[in-house]
Amino acid sequence: MKDEQTSLKLGGHEFKSRLILGTGKFSDIETMVRAIEASGTELVTVALRRFNRDKPSDDLCAPLAKLKNVKLMPNTSGAMNSKEAVRAAQLGRELSGSPFVKVEIHPNPHHLMPDAIETYLAAKELAADGFIVLPYIPADPVLAKKLEDVGCAAVMPLGAAIGSGGGLSTADMIQLIIRDSNIPVIVDAGLRAPSEAARAMEMGCAAVLVNSAIAAAKNPVAMARAFALGVETGYAARQAGLMPKSAVAVATSPLTSFLK
Amino acid sequence: MFLTVNDENYEHHGDGTVAALLTELGATPEHTALTVNGELVFSKDWKVFKFNGGDTVEVLTFVGGG
Repeated sequence: MKDEQTSLKLGGHEFKSRLILGTGKFSDIETMVRAIEASGTELVTVALRRFNRDKPSDDLCAPLAKLKNVKLMPNTSGAMNSKEAVRAAQLGRELSGSPFVKVEIHPNPHHLMPDAIETYLAAKELAADGFIVLPYIPADPVLAKKLEDVGCAAVMPLGAAIGSGGGLSTADMIQLIIRDSNIPVIVDAGLRAPSEAARAMEMGCAAVLVNSAIAAAKNPVAMARAFALGVETGYAARQAGLMPKSAVAVATSPLTSFLK
Repeated sequence: MFLTVNDENYEHHGDGTVAALLTELGATPEHTALTVNGELVFSKDWKVFKFNGGDTVEVLTFVGGG
């Protein structure tokens, strides 16, 4: 999607920030909250799990509820197929009251690659049920278009494997998705450095979703701020319009000789 | 009353309401979602819902996730 809006629009909701944060892997809840605040994000993902009687402190509801400008997007992690993902989405909506859902179905724990077929089936059903659906997908332009057709609010192709820090290894495919998409394209997974977030935004992405790169950084709060700047910089650069590339040098100073 | 709660055998000593079970477990109702025998039980129905012996209950909440 050629996105020249100043705010990110997802299913009729507007966001000033184009950085979406995941809440996993943080060393403690206080650090997570501070990172969320430092990032300026207005949308964070959460996962649904069984209540742990021995560790009630794992519960994120209370600390997240205090962040007034931040909406929740429950994910469907743990779902092995579309049926389980739909059930997880319904539970997430019941618990959060939020219409957003990140559909993620990745049955193989080794590579965590999304199951395109099950993701499509779940996204279609959930979009028809009124959810604002953001599916995590392989960087596949054909799949992305089909997900747009069934009513997804955005598509979220992976830059690299979840938590790998592999960067924008799928950049060429993401570019093809952006070219044909009429809905926001959000890079989700694989980013390691703010410069990669900036590049994604320069390419035409509407937003990026970052978790491990911030949570596993030496200083997560500082890295959250750095990613916010990266996203802002990349978006501003796209708005400004990058210069055309040339295969040969194009002189910036006059080449006429006058020292002889 | 014996239930299966989050895959474990569990003896519930209360009156079989959702509120009684969650209090026993130490779970905060507003931060909890519930399935019984695989079906979602909406929080709006919790006041009238009663568990039956042998029910399989899942008590869920949000944790960090990307």
